[in-house]
Amino acid sequence: MKFQRNRPSDEIPTSSMADIAFLLIVYFMVTTTFAATRGLDFSLPKDDDQPPVVEKEDSVLIEILPNGQLMIDQKPMEAGDIIEYLKPKLDRNAKKPVIIKPQPESPYGHMVEVFDVLRQAKLIDGQLTTLAELGPDFPEEDWDAGKDINISIPTQREIESFWF
Amino acid sequence: MRLKARHENQAVIPTASMADIAFLLIVFFMVTITFEKDKTQVALPKTELRFEVPKIAAYISVTEAGQIRVTDGEAMSTPVQRIDDVDAFAANLVANFPKRPVVLKADSNVPYRHIDRIIDSLKQAKVEQIYLLSEQKPLEEGAA
Repeated sequence: MKFQRNRPSDEIPTSSMADIAFLLIVYFMVTTTFAATRGLDFSLPKDDDQPPVVEKEDSVLIEILPNGQLMIDQKPMEAGDIIEYLKPKLDRNAKKPVIIKPQPESPYGHMVEVFDVLRQAKLIDGQLTTLAELGPDFPEEDWDAGKDINISIPTQREIESFWF
Repeated sequence: MRLKARHENQAVIPTASMADIAFLLIVFFMVTITFEKDKTQVALPKTELRFEVPKIAAYISVTEAGQIRVTDGEAMSTPVQRIDDVDAFAANLVANFPKRPVVLKADSNVPYRHIDRIIDSLKQAKVEQIYLLSEQKPLEEGAA
């Protein structure tokens, strides 16, 4: 009589390895939250004790009311019209400061919106030009070489101590 | 004559390399993951222009209710009880990491006075660069 011996297999069972690994992948993918890693940069004044001298009369004042309404030099205006209003002024005097002054109760988002609009315009060859006007074919180096608008966002404390 | 039993090919999908592929993917995910130092959920303002924020940066987050959390970029963010504590945080940050940028992660609806106070703290502490975290604003309809 012949016995058939049941020999145990000498292989490591790897068939479930893939299941485990995919489970781990799914876990990582589900728990990963995509970090928002982009935004607008904003340089604060360099380390000097003298605050930049901003003549109130000499600048363009953009006020943001709590309901989001913009008042530019006391005149109501839409965000889309800012550049049009600034162009003749800045073409004449490129250094003219543009002051963003949100009221204490204005939502932060409106200030960022105005800042975004101002950052999309630069003085190229003394002319205020927006990114949209230039189109996608404009060389990036030329854009980078352009001069930024002199944007100033004074804090409440600075306004109180230097203007009044 | 006895015919030899036919040796049939077994229909098996080769799965031996599956685990290798999967582990490769896991390693990829683990390497590319950057741990967020601040997990506060806020509705960021939307901008058309956006620049990459440095990976090593301090974070200040402000929720719509005005709750502030800070981190110098080394540890997880901690809540700040009073707005005056942001002054101390900013001073410490500049003392320890003079060149480190600060990322402001504020909700779009926060009253500006909170932001104003924070920027004032950062200015007084002589922080050089701040970033206003934002989301991509969709291109205006009808612009194309």
